[in-house]
Amino acid sequence: MAKFEAGMEAMADMYVFETTSLLEQLDQILMKTENESSFGEEEINEIFRTMHTIKGSSAMMGLENMSKLAHAIEDMFYIIREDHPVISSMESLYDLVFNASDLMKAEIELLQEDEYTPTDFTEQMNKIEDFVAVLKGGEAAPAANAAAPAQTAAAAPAAQPAAAPANSDPSQTMVRVFFEEDCKMENLRALLVINRISESCSKLEYSPADIESNSETAETIVKNGFDVTFIPKSGTSIDAVVDTIKTTPNVKNCNIISQTAAIGAAAAPADDDSTTVRVHFEDDCKMENLRALLVVNNVRDVCDNVSFEPADIETNSESAKYIVENGFTIRFKSDKPKMVLQVIESAPSVKSYEVIENTAAPQPAEAAAPAKPAETAAAPAAAASPAAAPAAKPAAKQEAKPAAAAKPASGGAKQSLISVNLNKLDTLLDLVGEIVITEAMVTSNPDLKGLRLDNFQKSARQLRKLNSELQDTVMSIRMVPLSGAFSKMTRIVRDMKVKLGKDVDLVFEGEETEVDKSIIDQLNDPLMHMVRNSMDHGIEDNVEDRIKAGKSPKGKLTLSAYNSSGEVIIVVADDGQGINPEKVLAKAEKNGILTKPASEYSEKEILNMIMLPGFSTNDQVTEYSGRGVGMDVVRKNIEKIGGTVSVESKFGQGTNFIIKIPLSLSIVDGMEVSVGDSIFTIPINSIRESFKVKPNQLVKDTNGKEMVMIRGECFPLIRLYDIYDLTPGMPDLYDGIVILVEADGKCACLFADELIGEQQVVVKPFSSLLNNYNVKQHGMSGCSILGDGSITIILDVSNIISDF
Amino acid sequence: MEENVTVSGSTSKNYSADGNEVLFFTIDDTIYGIEIKYVNEIIGIEQITIVPKIPDHIKGVINIRGKVVPVISLRKRFGIDEIPYDDRTCIIVLEFEDGNQVGIIVDRVREVVVVNPNDISRTPDAKNVNANHYIKSIVNLESGIRLLLDCDKLIKDD
Repeated sequence: MAKFEAGMEAMADMYVFETTSLLEQLDQILMKTENESSFGEEEINEIFRTMHTIKGSSAMMGLENMSKLAHAIEDMFYIIREDHPVISSMESLYDLVFNASDLMKAEIELLQEDEYTPTDFTEQMNKIEDFVAVLKGGEAAPAANAAAPAQTAAAAPAAQPAAAPANSDPSQTMVRVFFEEDCKMENLRALLVINRISESCSKLEYSPADIESNSETAETIVKNGFDVTFIPKSGTSIDAVVDTIKTTPNVKNCNIISQTAAIGAAAAPADDDSTTVRVHFEDDCKMENLRALLVVNNVRDVCDNVSFEPADIETNSESAKYIVENGFTIRFKSDKPKMVLQVIESAPSVKSYEVIENTAAPQPAEAAAPAKPAETAAAPAAAASPAAAPAAKPAAKQEAKPAAAAKPASGGAKQSLISVNLNKLDTLLDLVGEIVITEAMVTSNPDLKGLRLDNFQKSARQLRKLNSELQDTVMSIRMVPLSGAFSKMTRIVRDMKVKLGKDVDLVFEGEETEVDKSIIDQLNDPLMHMVRNSMDHGIEDNVEDRIKAGKSPKGKLTLSAYNSSGEVIIVVADDGQGINPEKVLAKAEKNGILTKPASEYSEKEILNMIMLPGFSTNDQVTEYSGRGVGMDVVRKNIEKIGGTVSVESKFGQGTNFIIKIPLSLSIVDGMEVSVGDSIFTIPINSIRESFKVKPNQLVKDTNGKEMVMIRGECFPLIRLYDIYDLTPGMPDLYDGIVILVEADGKCACLFADELIGEQQVVVKPFSSLLNNYNVKQHGMSGCSILGDGSITIILDVSNIISDF
Repeated sequence: MEENVTVSGSTSKNYSADGNEVLFFTIDDTIYGIEIKYVNEIIGIEQITIVPKIPDHIKGVINIRGKVVPVISLRKRFGIDEIPYDDRTCIIVLEFEDGNQVGIIVDRVREVVVVNPNDISRTPDAKNVNANHYIKSIVNLESGIRLLLDCDKLIKDD
């Protein structure tokens, strides 16, 4: 795995996790705004920030393609945010961003594979650039206007920057800006910088001065950087201006190379009501600089005028080290400082923060810090090392801080959520499973047989209670709400709505229902297939058909979930045309999958045929479905996680796909029964009762099929040794035991030699070698290891009933 | 019949770069080989739990330190009559690239031999060789010709 630079691999997981959630967030914002068909300031900012973070962290991981794509989108939204262009085609904007988001998601998936080669995003980038060009075209005029004043402002004092450091103007600051490598047209980018800060500066000079007219200045800028000398307007801090420069697209870094001593003081008065906070991150959380950036982004949400220290967190990964050692200082201005503090506190990985009492105290101290004048002095010396300046600045600040930091961390509470690697949880669950087995091994140890051990029994009961609590807790850790899986469908529905031209409402019900994480992961594909299926086949193609049938012209697709006796039931329901059983039957006959005369099939059986391999009633193969693999895949995937799928449909009224999945896969309460030398486990929740059969209960039908009569009801008798070709210990029905089992509303009696006892077992799936032989179909859902090391096979009652 | 070939240390699993170590074992007087990269461990015969409704050659599953591993009888696989297990009967536990483990029951395990790649040749296209189907290649050792089994086919192909 040489995907990342050394040392970065450890962070890959974190990166994947963060980026994935960011992209999901992005999708949600897009979806929301698309529904409202307008972009609010808030949303644009959010998208901008999301892309910004992805850009930053991707660059950090050395994923240049990701970073560039994110950058392109960021640029686009920057234009949208700053210039409010008239967006002629909202759809293409959405498509563009959705596509980009998909590409990035795919890339993240690729990343997790062993072989990884970066995908080329050039095509998408070009599309975005084209779109940006269109956007810009719409606002070309204002841009030119804006540029004009800047130019006039610059014209008079041009060529002054060289002398600037010597300038006696007390509040003048000179910064040197570098642009990202290969970003091209540096001169125009520089112009953009000037335009952005021109509003907040009372005096503004820059060198080279002829950036607008002379394209050769681009080279100079690449070589020497772009020098800007400015005096901020009253009410604006220098930091704010520097900040504006930094957030300009393509700016790589911006170093203050000269700042007069009075600066600190000049910035201070404006910040009367500002608050300075020092944030510490959790130990070993890595990438502190990017986390700091996240904090800054969050704070920017709630207040303006945010500045921070070190200032180059975004571009300089070294700053992470600085943050670890000295903390991250952020200054903001807000009339609700408490709220901002909360925001800081709730940011991920923030360990603690302290409020360094605002205004007066720190700033004069800062201004007086010895490093500052030295800096000014050093600057005229051609600012030999621009890098030295920012380095010196934090140092100065840091000296000033401890004195002011006397105030203890007020409410530096920790956040209450952590993200844990799933592997660790799996291991934990395995361990708990082993403990459950071991407990059984100890408490039912054969050595203890026949002994009277009151105290031992008491402790054993206590142990059992604690173990089951432990197990419940571990299970609950792994439970995640279905809402995540559901909301992914919004995206699919949205895409298909556009492509198929169908108007459909997607409704969620009970999305807070929780399922085991490992199940959720397996659920995405089947859900997607079903939703596609409903959208494509279910909902009528023509609105007229719907109106004729007396339905609302707008289709409705409902995803609902609820708990029912140890199972989670998920229903994908549409109010479309439903399934025509006759058509299904005809098709099945044509495909030769019927096993009995067509007239003998019940409607339910017919409907479930659509889930057989290679079956599709749709005559045409569309992009989304019709190849006849969809529903088959759904059934296979759901069965893989131990669930079942069934179809209900009323022709003309709609179709329901019902998925039943177990709450959790790994531990079941089971009843062990023996059949000859074999031990089988029947899940307790499918057992209704067990009893010995009396001769008068046995009934035989004309085919010799045995049935057992219980309280006036007849149930088929299934002899386990018979169906599994085993040698029974007790072939005589009246010697052995009969267990009445129920699944999917159907009952049957299973005949076994004897009951061994109830035990919790940890389900281990069959190896793929055995799965090839369809053991599941034959009613075996997995196996488990018992306390004495022997293996038991777990029976799947519903498959036994339907198969035999 | 003692082989006059290099025998590597039996305990240290020495993965040579070209992976040409081969574990030899006998089934019904024929010596077969398996590339050592597949071999995880060799254990004595254990209690095998029968799994119903699977082909005859899969004898069932065994418990290897908490893992449930299916076991194949190579005799059955090759269509040879099974003999009662004795103290030389072994289960060779193979591990595949996807992490799947499968045990194969063999009559007795012989030794690990480093095989020169030049001595390995492809299977002839003969149709009357009983187990040709599962043979990957033929090894020409001084002591005689040996058959190298194709592990993937052993478990996958029917």
